[in-house]
Amino acid sequence: MLEVLAIAFTVFLVILSAAYARRFGIGKEIILAGTRALVQILILASIILILFQKPLYWSFPILIMMAAIAGYTTYSRSGKLEKGLPVAIFSITIASILMLIPFFLVGIFPVEARYIIPSGSIFIGNAMNVSSLAIDRYKGEIKNRRAEIETYLALGARPEIAAGACLKQGILSALIPSIDNMKNLGIVWIPGVMTGMLLGGADPMEAASIQIALFTSIFAAGMIASNLLLHFSTDSFFTKAAQLKEDMGQ
Amino acid sequence: MNPVHLELKNVSKNVFRRVNNNMVRTQILSNLDLKVNKGELVTIMGASGSGKSTLLRLINRLSETDSGIILLKGNDIRSYVPMELRRRIGMVFQVPVAFKGSVRDNLSFGIKLWGGNTGIETLSRDTGIPGNLLDADAGQLSTGEKQRVSIARALGNQPEILLLDEPTSSLDAVSEQRIEKLLLDLQKERDLTILWVTHEKEQAQRIGGKRLILREGRLEHA
Repeated sequence: MLEVLAIAFTVFLVILSAAYARRFGIGKEIILAGTRALVQILILASIILILFQKPLYWSFPILIMMAAIAGYTTYSRSGKLEKGLPVAIFSITIASILMLIPFFLVGIFPVEARYIIPSGSIFIGNAMNVSSLAIDRYKGEIKNRRAEIETYLALGARPEIAAGACLKQGILSALIPSIDNMKNLGIVWIPGVMTGMLLGGADPMEAASIQIALFTSIFAAGMIASNLLLHFSTDSFFTKAAQLKEDMGQ
Repeated sequence: MNPVHLELKNVSKNVFRRVNNNMVRTQILSNLDLKVNKGELVTIMGASGSGKSTLLRLINRLSETDSGIILLKGNDIRSYVPMELRRRIGMVFQVPVAFKGSVRDNLSFGIKLWGGNTGIETLSRDTGIPGNLLDADAGQLSTGEKQRVSIARALGNQPEILLLDEPTSSLDAVSEQRIEKLLLDLQKERDLTILWVTHEKEQAQRIGGKRLILREGRLEHA
């Protein structure tokens, strides 16, 4: 009964928001995004329901699929850079897995689909957001700082040195929202996992401890994913003869 | 007669230019030939957009030729590792870029990269950068000072050829003449081969050397 109410409320809100947003010309977009989100989350819930009945290893293809879709989203944000898709999927997958495994190794979460899928999705989703912001800014910096990059190249510097300051700026900008969130954690907002645990009746101290462990790991995953992505994307902006490609800002 | 240091044979280059939101392909260099001897000073004049900067960029491979060949000491420049080629062929741009950090950090860039034996003090003295400026933030310098820093930084690589892309065009008259004198003195002291692009006829006359004009994609004697 509760789920029917929540879904009906969601549909109502999506329609209301879209009606209001028509004046900004994004009414259609909100309807589409809201419907997609609703359908996708219901599909996910059904998949998790099915996974409860299946052996544990079924969870992993689901996570890989999530990482692939996240990678594609970041790849699209990068303007579909050459070799960008495998690099984006690789960066998001490696960073998420690396930070997810310890939670199960040290026993914070039991090794069950009910924990693997949602926690994995938090890591993948955040790594995707940070990576998308980072690659977008990195590309913008390279375009705007063409003169500086070519001055480095003209001195015989390798592309990774020439674009080093742009890479740093890309990662820094992408991490600013996460850093601000971390600073205000518990003051301005109570994050999702803790909220969920509290609503589920968990002990507040336990909920807070798990939340902060998750939060810092998510931050680390975002940082690792964006670092890997930007590092391996640098070559896409340069030719084999270490020339900044002509479509980058001329 | 000094040996040929740099040679361009039949070099052509097209560039894309934005015209009414469309990219239009324009031939900017057309079967261009040039021979420059060791230690020679060549000034290249031409109207804006005639391809002077593009020509320099092809020589140190910041851009690629569409056809033709460029030879450094008789060897195709494509046979060099691009980074090594650019160490040998230094370039000073029209608008100087100061890297983040102090003047000293800027001057030591090439030395750290290539392990040269030129001292920072020698570089700053040769390029007229006062000693008390060495620890100043390079980003805060005047354009003239930044240009000196970028010349010194290029010399830190101990290049054999120096490409100068209108190095004084963003400077006032006094700084312009100082930089001109500095570059001419350096050329003599270090036996540098220099290609100096300028759009000012008066400057080309002051500088001397072999004077060429880039017109309709080819070089002609002025």
